[in-house]
Amino acid sequence: MSDDTNIPPVMWEKLDRTAGAAEVITAPSLTYWQDVRRRLWANKPAVVSIAFIILLILSAIFGPMLSPFSYYEQNLKLANIPPVFETYRVTDSTGAETRFFLNASNFNLYEVDNSGHIVGIIRGERKDMLKKSQAFQFGDKIVVLDYSSLPARLVAPDGAVLQPEGWQWNMTYLFGTDQLGRDVLVRQLYGARISLTVAFVATLVNFFIGIFYGGIAGYIGGKTDAVMMRIVEIISTIPLTLYVILLMVVLDSGLISIVVAIGSVFWVDMARMVRGQILMLKQQDYVAAARTMGAGTGRILTKHLLPNSIGPILVTLTMLIPSAIFIESFMSFIGLGVTPPMASWGTLTSEAVETLRAYPHQLFFPAAAISLTMFAFNFLGDGLRDALDPRMRK
Amino acid sequence: MPLYVLQRLGLMLVTLFAIVTLTFFLMHAVPGGPFVSERMLAPEIEAALNAKFGLSDPIWVQYLNYLRSIMMFDLGPSFKYPGVSVNQMIADGLPVTLRTGLLAVICVIALGVPMGIVAALNRNKWPDTAVMMVATMGVAIPSYVIATVLLYVFALRLGWVPTFGLDDWRGYILPVLALSGFWVSFVARLSRSSLLETLDQDYMTTARAKGLKPGQVLFKHGLRNSLIPVVTVLGPVTANLLTGSFVIEQIFALPGIGRHFVLSITNRDYTAIMGITIFYAALLMVMILIVDLLYLWLDPRIKLGKQA
Repeated sequence: MSDDTNIPPVMWEKLDRTAGAAEVITAPSLTYWQDVRRRLWANKPAVVSIAFIILLILSAIFGPMLSPFSYYEQNLKLANIPPVFETYRVTDSTGAETRFFLNASNFNLYEVDNSGHIVGIIRGERKDMLKKSQAFQFGDKIVVLDYSSLPARLVAPDGAVLQPEGWQWNMTYLFGTDQLGRDVLVRQLYGARISLTVAFVATLVNFFIGIFYGGIAGYIGGKTDAVMMRIVEIISTIPLTLYVILLMVVLDSGLISIVVAIGSVFWVDMARMVRGQILMLKQQDYVAAARTMGAGTGRILTKHLLPNSIGPILVTLTMLIPSAIFIESFMSFIGLGVTPPMASWGTLTSEAVETLRAYPHQLFFPAAAISLTMFAFNFLGDGLRDALDPRMRK
Repeated sequence: MPLYVLQRLGLMLVTLFAIVTLTFFLMHAVPGGPFVSERMLAPEIEAALNAKFGLSDPIWVQYLNYLRSIMMFDLGPSFKYPGVSVNQMIADGLPVTLRTGLLAVICVIALGVPMGIVAALNRNKWPDTAVMMVATMGVAIPSYVIATVLLYVFALRLGWVPTFGLDDWRGYILPVLALSGFWVSFVARLSRSSLLETLDQDYMTTARAKGLKPGQVLFKHGLRNSLIPVVTVLGPVTANLLTGSFVIEQIFALPGIGRHFVLSITNRDYTAIMGITIFYAALLMVMILIVDLLYLWLDPRIKLGKQA
C-alpha cells in the first residue's frame, strides 16, 4: 500500500446506502446443475461426444429401416466392393459409353452409372490362365485386363493403357460390401444396435442393482456391510469374460450369455463406489438433521444420500458403459459372441481380418466405429468428471 | 501380516469353492451329456463312456468326486481329446501365456510410467500433448484392432516380424505391444495425473527449498509418492492382461491357455472349460494377492487388513 496514490475527489462516488443494497446479488445465481451444464457445455470434446452418441443411437434405431438392404442379404456377384474406386470410361464406335471400375484384388470389372451407383458385374470372355489376362467386350471395342504383373492394367486394342478418370464414392454401398456381398453400412448399424443394447443393459443393472446394493451396504454398515462387500469381492475376483464363457455353455447364443453375464455381475464396481460415497455422506450433519426430524431410512436414502452421490455415479457409469461394449466386441471377435449372420462390431472386424491381405479397407469401418464410440464415451466421462467436480480438474 | 495373508487365503478358498460349485452345476444344467452331440453312439458305448467318466452316478456323488479330485490338483480328463488330461493342456499352454503376460506387465511399467512422468514434467507443452494423444488413442482403440493394424503394417507390409509363432524373440514384439497397449495408456494417464498432484505438495517445495538437486527431488520425493496409485492398479492389470490374452493369442495363433480355452468352448469340452476356468480364477487371485502384499510392503502407511 503506497501513500502516493492520488485520485481526485471527483472520481469517488458515494455508495447508495439504502438498506439491503449491499446484499443484492448481481450475478445470476446458478443451481449446482445449471453450473454443471454450463461447464460441460464449455468443454468442446464432451459436447462433440454427446452429439456423436446421440447420432449413433438415432442411426442405430432408424438406419436399418431406411436402408434398402438387410444385414443378412447376400449378393455374391457384388462381393468385396470397395467404398471408393477409380472409374474408367470406354466409348465404342456407336458412341455408347460404359463407365466401370476395376476391383484390383479380385480382377473383376463392375459397371457404374454416372452418379456412382453400381449397375452390375461386367461379364468378360474366358480368362486366359497362361497369359493371365481376360478380354472384355464393350460394344465393338475390346479391352484386355492384364494381371500378369501387378498392379493390373487395362489395355485397349491399340496397345494403350487405359487411364482412370478419377475417384468416385460408391453410392449404392456407401461403405462397400463384405466377402459375401452384404452391405457393410447396414451391418455396421446392426453392430451399433448390439453394442448399444449391451450398453443399455449395463446402464440398467448399474442403476437398479449397483446403486441400491451399494447404497444399502453403505447405509446399514456393520455386519451387513461386511457380508455384502465380501460377496462383491468374490464376484469381482473373476473377470467378466469367464462368466460369459461359463454361461455360453448353458445358453447357446453368445449374445444372450453376454447380456445375462453383464446383467448379473456388472454392477459390482458401481456398488463399491456408491457404498464408499454413502459411507462418507451419512456422517454429514444434514443427514443427522433429517433423522432428527423423523425421516425414515427410505427417505434419507432416496432424498439425501443418493442425489448427493449422483455425480460420481454418472462418471462411473460413463466409464462402465464402454467396458461393457468392449467385452461384447472382444467376445464377438474371438468368435464367442453373436452368431452369423448377425453382425457386431467385433465380428465385422474379425471377418475383415480374414481378408486383410486383399482388402485392408474392410477393417477400417468397424474399427473406426468402435474406436470412435470409445473416444466419445471417454471424452464424455472426462468432461462429466470435470464438470461435476471442478476440483478434480487437471 | 501372517493373519492378513491367512484371511486373504481363506477368502480365496471361499471364492474358489463358489466358482467350482457354480461351474459344476452350470455344466450339468446343459441338456444332454458330453457324448450326445455329434454322431449317434451305440447305447452300450455311451453307457460305457458314462460309466468310465463316472457320469452315471447321482449328481451329488459326481460333485463330491470332482471336489475331491480338485483338492488333489487333478482337473480330470478332457472329453474331446482322448488321453489328454486338462492338467496336461494347461501345462502346455501356461508357459506361453505367462511369458507374454509378464512381458506385457513389464512393458506397461517400462513404457507407461516414463510416459506419464515426461508428460507431467512438461505440462501443457508438446511432449504432454503427444503423450496424452497416444494415451487417449490407446484407451479407445480395442486391442484386437491394434493387433491387426500392427500385424498388417509390420508383418504383412514391412515384413519385419513374423506373422505368427514364437520361434524367436521378434515373434513376441507384436503380441506384447498389442496386449499391453490399453494398459500402457491407462498407466501413463494415471501416473501423469498422480505426479502432477504430488508436484503441487508442500513437501516438494520444501525439498527444493532445502537445496536438493532436481533429480533427487523428483526421484526421492516425487516419484515415490506418486507411484503408489500405479502400484495399486497393477493387480487388476495383471488379471486383465492374462484374460486379455484370449484375443491376442487368437490373432497371433499363440499356443497359450487362452487359445485352448476358446477352442474348448467351441468343442464343448466341458471338463476342459471347467478346469481352465478354475485354474484361471486361482491364478488371477494369487496374482492379485501378490500385488497387494507388494503394495503393503512398498507403502508402510497402509494398515494391514484394512481396505485402502
